[in-house]
Amino acid sequence: MTLPAVLVVVALLVGIGLYGALSQQSFVMLMMGLELMMNGVLLAAVGLWSFAAGGIPKGQLLVIVVLAVMALEMAIGFALVVAVYRERQADTTEALETLRG
Amino acid sequence: MTAVDVFFYLLSAIAVVAGWRVFRTDSMVRASFFLLTSFLTVGGIALLLAAPYLGAAVLFMMAVEMMVMALFMVMFMMNPAGLNPMNMVHQSRFAIGAGVVAGVSLAVLALVVRFPRHPVEPSADLISRLGHELLGDSMLIFESAGVAIVATMVCTVVLSSASGRYGNATSGSRPPGLEPGGEPAGRRPDSDDDADGGDDE
Amino acid sequence: MSAGSFIVLFIVGLALVAGVYVVAVFDSLAAAWVAARRPSGILLLPIRRAAFLVVQQHNETERPDEAGWRLAPALYLALAATGFGLIPLSASFVPIDGPAGIVLWGAMEALAIVAIFLHGWSANAMLPLIGAYRFVALGLSILLVSMFVLIAAALPAESMRMMDLVDSQRELWNVVRQPLGLPLLLLVAMTLSFWGPFNFADSADLATGTASEVSGPPLLVWKLSRAAMLVSFSALAATLFLGGWLGPWLPGPVWLALKTVLILAVLAGMGRLAGRVSTERMITAAWVVLLPISFLHLAWAGVEALS
Repeated sequence: MTLPAVLVVVALLVGIGLYGALSQQSFVMLMMGLELMMNGVLLAAVGLWSFAAGGIPKGQLLVIVVLAVMALEMAIGFALVVAVYRERQADTTEALETLRG
Repeated sequence: MTAVDVFFYLLSAIAVVAGWRVFRTDSMVRASFFLLTSFLTVGGIALLLAAPYLGAAVLFMMAVEMMVMALFMVMFMMNPAGLNPMNMVHQSRFAIGAGVVAGVSLAVLALVVRFPRHPVEPSADLISRLGHELLGDSMLIFESAGVAIVATMVCTVVLSSASGRYGNATSGSRPPGLEPGGEPAGRRPDSDDDADGGDDE
Repeated sequence: MSAGSFIVLFIVGLALVAGVYVVAVFDSLAAAWVAARRPSGILLLPIRRAAFLVVQQHNETERPDEAGWRLAPALYLALAATGFGLIPLSASFVPIDGPAGIVLWGAMEALAIVAIFLHGWSANAMLPLIGAYRFVALGLSILLVSMFVLIAAALPAESMRMMDLVDSQRELWNVVRQPLGLPLLLLVAMTLSFWGPFNFADSADLATGTASEVSGPPLLVWKLSRAAMLVSFSALAATLFLGGWLGPWLPGPVWLALKTVLILAVLAGMGRLAGRVSTERMITAAWVVLLPISFLHLAWAGVEALS
């Protein structure tokens, strides 16, 4: 278990997450791609904290902030998805292609 | 190859495969729980990397988040149980290309860059040092995160309350039409006043 | 896996089996008491019921999520067992030790909600689905109350390690220091093991909800897991509020067992004595009543720990 091994896993997670975020039509699946990318970022932060930063407390603080940001992004994302659906009956990115009005 | 190494390779394999299966499975609830598996294994790796509180916090928070995600998947996806095969992708080749480029370039960086070597000592007071840091030097960050959370709570309630300004829940939250732009499919909730199971005549 | 970890697994398994048996016996006793009936054959009844379920045929529905359906009870049982493993059994023995034991327990609670939802969802039937949704709505609300109770219990110990939590109770048990804690934790325990008045997942008005399409060995595993979760929660309540293995003459594990059995008796009694609350009222109560009470409880614990 070395730092390059952890970061290769991060690279895979970010790659798969990016594929998901770019390729999915539905809003919630797109958000799942974003969540997967942030999963990779979380793992990278923990790995770098553990191997390269000597366990300084600010490293753990960064991980906690990333965790909080993930939760907030999911909450606002879902609220926006609900609001968009109520306004325009749109649940895929395709349906929001044209500006209305 | 110590036991820790074996666990690490096992957990990371599960994380990557589960992350892949999120976008390849038909059942939407299973997709959320595959994502949960990916998060749980990352939490496990954090526990292996001598970050006990962070690993436990990731396990805890991601379980709740993915439970809510599963509920939203059932709300918004047309195939929540995977009873039919489904493939809802667009710009698939571009997305695959972008994912491969991002993954390969990050992997190359991971293997080539020389990171400083300063491993953590798994001492017992990591958590208390984190606590002192959170409420000491980084109190501003911690409190801003708290304020951000309150702001988010207010925003979500404003955006999605039942009689809010972004659409009334009863008239806006209807199923999509059977053809695009058509009448909403399914029973209309306010058209059955005598509660006999059908629309009012 | 070393021999030591096998012994640990064996001890945890044995304790859980004994605890599950005690839960079943107490439940029958409480039922007999409520019905003003003389209890007879109580000690053999759980074993007879288990044997019946083992040979009963298991039910199928149309296009269930087969993997999830069979995995959910096993997952719930594993979570109950892992939770039990986090609890200090004596002065020097914790099956799963770690600096953040109490946060791991919270993680087990959160994952239990996932397992119960999966059990109800996977059956592809109406009543289990309603049970699963009702339970998720309530479980996520109660999880906040549970977090505050756990944090407040960790405050006097100034540590998140379970052993330190027990050590902090050497002079005074937490049930005296933090009076609101034990009732709140018992409420949380009954909600997350959907027991008695807080049985929203397998309620009688849904014809046992998430278990309504289950029969045979899967039903046995589900009932075992539910009782095991109750045992783990009772052991947690005994550890956090009644001093765990602390006690004068008898060895540590015996004290823990006695305190756990006491709390199991209370829970089994409440399981039969109180009627089920309606779902909407319970959700309102969880956010409007229980959450402020748990804030007060945490503030009280903080003030008490600072002085």
